[in-house]
Amino acid sequence: MNLKKVLSKDSILPDLKAETKNAVIEELVDFLAQNGSIGDPAAALQAVMNREAKMSTGMQNGIAIPHGKTDTVNQLLVAIATKKGGVDFDAMDGQPCNIFILTLSPEHRAGPHIQFLAEISKLLGNVHLREKLVAAGSADEILNLLTA
Amino acid sequence: MDATNAVIQATHQTAEAVAHAAEGSGQGITHMMMLLVIQLAVIIIVAKIGGYLAQRFLKMPSVLGELISGMIIGPYALGAKIILPDFGPLFVEHAGFAASAELYGIATLASIILLFLAGLETDLAAFLRYSVVGSVVGLGGLLTAFIIGDLTAVLWPGNGIESFMDPVALFLGVISVATSVGITARILAEKRKMASPEGVTILAGAVFDDVFGIVALAIVMGMAKVSLGGGEVNWGEIGIIAAKAIGFFVVVTALGLIFARKITSAIKQFKSKEIMVSICFGLAMLLAGLAEMAGLAMIIGAYIMGLALSRTDLAHEIEENLEGVYNILVPIFFCVMGMMVDFSAMKPVLAFGAVYSLLAIFAKVLGCGIPAWAMRFNVRGSLRIGLGMLPRGEVALIVAGIGLAAGIIDQGIFGIAIMMTVITTILAPPLLVKSFEGGSGLRKEIAGGFENTESIDLEFPSRDITEFLLNRFVRALRNEEFYVNRLHTEQLTYQVRKDDIMFVLIEDDHILRINTPIEHQQLVRLMLTEELLSLSDLLEATQKMEDLQSMGSGLLAGMFS
Repeated sequence: MNLKKVLSKDSILPDLKAETKNAVIEELVDFLAQNGSIGDPAAALQAVMNREAKMSTGMQNGIAIPHGKTDTVNQLLVAIATKKGGVDFDAMDGQPCNIFILTLSPEHRAGPHIQFLAEISKLLGNVHLREKLVAAGSADEILNLLTA
Repeated sequence: MDATNAVIQATHQTAEAVAHAAEGSGQGITHMMMLLVIQLAVIIIVAKIGGYLAQRFLKMPSVLGELISGMIIGPYALGAKIILPDFGPLFVEHAGFAASAELYGIATLASIILLFLAGLETDLAAFLRYSVVGSVVGLGGLLTAFIIGDLTAVLWPGNGIESFMDPVALFLGVISVATSVGITARILAEKRKMASPEGVTILAGAVFDDVFGIVALAIVMGMAKVSLGGGEVNWGEIGIIAAKAIGFFVVVTALGLIFARKITSAIKQFKSKEIMVSICFGLAMLLAGLAEMAGLAMIIGAYIMGLALSRTDLAHEIEENLEGVYNILVPIFFCVMGMMVDFSAMKPVLAFGAVYSLLAIFAKVLGCGIPAWAMRFNVRGSLRIGLGMLPRGEVALIVAGIGLAAGIIDQGIFGIAIMMTVITTILAPPLLVKSFEGGSGLRKEIAGGFENTESIDLEFPSRDITEFLLNRFVRALRNEEFYVNRLHTEQLTYQVRKDDIMFVLIEDDHILRINTPIEHQQLVRLMLTEELLSLSDLLEATQKMEDLQSMGSGLLAGMFS
């Protein structure tokens, strides 16, 4: 899967302001809503929160992959963000998360949505890449690291 | 109403006309059909029981049982001894052919369904993705098997075949080409080796083997038809015939793929799945007829239609809806093929048959094994791949049947083709199981990273839940645009593919097992987690339902009032 097709500079948010799990998700959904591609941002936020309520998407080694299925989007939307100090995200290993990948995908349309998450998770298995991502200061830098 | 009456009247008149015509030819059509129906009844019942016995007790593919049932009830064995009152023997030879035209017609229909579904199940994406490994292994096996099969016929003393281009020699070559990977897939699934490098290579090689085998058949049919017409086949002509056959295959397949989505979206206007599936099958038969008209074989057209539709969203529907017809008709085909084996005609060529079968084994083991070894496997791995490609089956039988029906091969050679199919099918499983003992099949320098497959097991409290989750998982995978192919194995097994991703799902009683290369385990784990969560959603929803007991008593309350 070609990450370049899904990712662009506009989908990357270096150094989040949010300090809590809910605030991180809200900030990411707001960020995606800015360019008007979400029909109903509140419903999209709810979809992500509902999924989060079932089981936290905070994984290990500082990675969180909040995601939701909602028909208020027409295609896969992705936001990638970092947070230098990290945020408590109820991660499996109990550590704070500092890399966030949010995806929103239409509920009733087929597409490689989970595959995208899997692909990027595979990439993030590399500890050096993770360190570089968190240290990166700009969207361009992060995009280069992920698609190089 | 008037229209209906008119149709009924017309039908009646037609039937009467046909009946008169048949009576005129000395045999009442009703009698003919009655005999056909009784023959079909015997064939279906015996073939199905034979298939069951082979599967259940011999752990062999049902094809084998169906074939042997045919040999037993055929006109050269019991069939001639079962006498129906007023009719004579149940099965008799018709002009040197074991089946009547009517019966052979039904067998032909079955072979069209078989190849149409084989085309539908072909994963073209994998064909392109695995083109290097698959084509080298598939092509290696194909060429070696063809050349050795053909040369055996030429070099064997006293059978009157002198030239490599002799139609009989060409047929013996092409019969030994087509691998039937079903039995190999079953063993790979049982041994949890489907996602291993050898497993992936075998399954990819088999896809190529299918496609190339069909093209090879097309070329040989063309050459055989020229030789039979009394013409001399020279190399220039072979070039033209090959170009025509490959051209037909490539052009029609390409057209099919380009227009498949347009055709299916037009067919979808009918809304009813039943109509859509029937029309697609109709198109397969149409293309089968056109292929024959173009000087190729019917199964080639059927296969191409399947291939063209394999990338549309109707593929799955067609497979599912034709399964019932397949299950009834295809055993008839194999049984009829078995019936055609004339043991007395085989006696003089038995030694030749044994050598031909033995060489057919070596041809695949070496033809597939050597290219595999040259690529990245060690001797052990190459042997596994060669043995995995060993069993011949359905397509070999169909090709042999075509040769017999066209008068290219005689009953002795036909018997040998069946013998080779049976021997390779019986020998493959124990040899393959034995070959998978021991360590990695990859050469040392490449082993790291490739060999690592992981088995993810999820145990559920009941088989129902396992099956339920498996079905949901399959649906989710299809939504993610994965190609999910159900393998014809005893345990419910699916092969999942997309681009370079390949893993296997197996339902093992209470356990849902996923065999995946380590590099794709993230995907499997993420998707499974989502499905498990949706399962818990469903359970919550059922708890919100009205208390089940009060629902039940509501249902029963009015029963005796």
